[in-house]
Amino acid sequence: MDDQQIVELYWQRNPDAIEQSRKKYGSYCFSVANNILGNCEDSEECVNDTWLHAWNGIPPHKPKVLRMFLAKIARNMAFNRFKLRSAKKRGSGEITSVLDELSECLVNESDVESELIAQELGICIQQFVRNLPTREGDIFSRRYFFTEPISDIAKGYGLTVNHTMVILSRTRNKLKKHLIKEGYIHE
Amino acid sequence: MNRNNLYESIGHIDDKILERSEKNKRKKRHKRSRFVIALAAILTIAIVAGLFLAPENSPIVMTTYAIREASYPNMAPYPVESSPTFLEDYHAWSESVTAQKQELGYADNLKNFFTSSIQQILSSETSSNRAYSPLNVYLALGMIAEITDNNSRQQILDLLEADSIDTLRTQATALWNAHYRNDGATTSILASSLWLDDHISFVPSTLDTLADTYYASSYQGTMESTEMIEAFQNWLSKQTGGLLDEQVENITLDKKTIMVLATSIYFQAKWESEFEKSQTTSDTFHSLSGDITCDFMHKSTDGTYYWGDQFSAVGKRLNNDGGTMWFILPDEGVSIDNLLYDEQTMDFIMTRSERNTDDWENQKRLIINLSLPKFDITSQMDLAKDLQALGITDVFNSKSSDFSPLTTDMKGISISKVPHDVRVAIDEEGVTATAYTAMLLMGAAPPPDDKVDFILDRPFLFAITSDDGLPLFVGVVQHP
Repeated sequence: MDDQQIVELYWQRNPDAIEQSRKKYGSYCFSVANNILGNCEDSEECVNDTWLHAWNGIPPHKPKVLRMFLAKIARNMAFNRFKLRSAKKRGSGEITSVLDELSECLVNESDVESELIAQELGICIQQFVRNLPTREGDIFSRRYFFTEPISDIAKGYGLTVNHTMVILSRTRNKLKKHLIKEGYIHE
Repeated sequence: MNRNNLYESIGHIDDKILERSEKNKRKKRHKRSRFVIALAAILTIAIVAGLFLAPENSPIVMTTYAIREASYPNMAPYPVESSPTFLEDYHAWSESVTAQKQELGYADNLKNFFTSSIQQILSSETSSNRAYSPLNVYLALGMIAEITDNNSRQQILDLLEADSIDTLRTQATALWNAHYRNDGATTSILASSLWLDDHISFVPSTLDTLADTYYASSYQGTMESTEMIEAFQNWLSKQTGGLLDEQVENITLDKKTIMVLATSIYFQAKWESEFEKSQTTSDTFHSLSGDITCDFMHKSTDGTYYWGDQFSAVGKRLNNDGGTMWFILPDEGVSIDNLLYDEQTMDFIMTRSERNTDDWENQKRLIINLSLPKFDITSQMDLAKDLQALGITDVFNSKSSDFSPLTTDMKGISISKVPHDVRVAIDEEGVTATAYTAMLLMGAAPPPDDKVDFILDRPFLFAITSDDGLPLFVGVVQHP
């Protein structure tokens, strides 16, 4: 079944929408969540939460790219779960290294989390990635959106692990400069 | 701001960039290794001469020429992802795919035929690999119904549960179209042809019906001539992508044959979720004739695990709506033949449709650790006796057959043999063995936790169903 037909089922409030999403994107969303959580049971629960959020979100949304719409929900679900459980030191996904790398882009970290910051920052990051050359943008997305291990990214793009790490490091430096320029962090 | 804020903000990356990162990655991966499933089947029905009723009225010609050429539907090519006109191309492609789809349930009446023929043809006391294409045989039988009359035709209509030849024609055309895909990404063609001896006049309107309804081309020439044999073998080879060349070389046409009817299926598709080459390991398969070592592909995915009283099963999707390949493992102590005659197992195979809601009672969503032996099996069978056992007897008997819609030149025509050759290959380029520990196999009981090891290390059944749920191929792997 193609994506538009599945979206149509959501709009018709037909529960088969969830079954079709599960069939087509179940394992995909699982891998998105599992990259973050590294725990099958937790990831499976995130995937189940993903269908519920999709059901609540469509309508009003009419996603043009259903796959990415679901990937974003699964990523959010998994990251929220990670934050809740990180205090209990549960899970051993790729996320810990990814967050450590991202902290290099920041000068001083504040403990205050704000949804408003995340929203505004989201637009800033969106612009930053749009302006990256294709390969850098792709590799940045694989690592920091999909939370993929560097070795998998290297393999996927036919690069060595070292080369991939160098590309990521340069892109993080660029991001840091961009965040300073936009006033999100101060040197 | 902290690292969590930053990570969350990265969630706003444009969908099209995320998609691009995925596509670029997949492109590279395909260049490095290809995981392909390739299948081909041919069924040739040799119809031999009886008594001439009229003097030879056709000149003997030494060339083989097409007298009717079937024209296939045009399909928009599968869009190139990097093309600037991608969206328009995608739309055109999507429309042409939708145009081939048929109403749900259009082939429901064929379940009995599929079930009884699968049981008849695949059950055997031997320990050889066997594969059968129910759709291939269905189309061949439909064409035989067109060239026969009276009881010869009725026996076929009865087996296919068609109340008239018109019903059969409508259904055959629908079925052909539902399984036709030629868009550059997936190839699935149910090609048919007739090879006619030029000593005999054939009824032109019958040949027209075969071209219009079954997309069958007709060729005429001198049956035993090298030229005709070569043309025939070339056609078979071309239609099956060269997969059955060894078998095709042995198919010849002899003097007694007045017509050969050939149907073929060629099907090639990629797995929707690939096996990792680095995970492939060498392991033991317990065949009926002893243990053998073969390569096992491994994959852990979130999927649906099914079970019945005597089997467990998982499906693996093929890319680009190419259908699903099902692996059905009999429980310990249950033979393949037991499974073939088990009503619940056949019901499972017959109800696998991607377009219907799956209401199979015994299923559970969990992580499946699949271990699948790589195999490339070839099966050669003569279906003449099987078809007779299924009730099609008159066309095999020169005294009772009626081929009057085919020719009025002679009587006493009969079918002499019905060879059915199938090859099914699950292909992977390159193997790197790493250690893998095989775990205990789950039986028919519901799986206990959140994961299951599904290890196909002893004879199993497989079925390849289209998105309509119709069985394109069904087979038994005894030796991978």
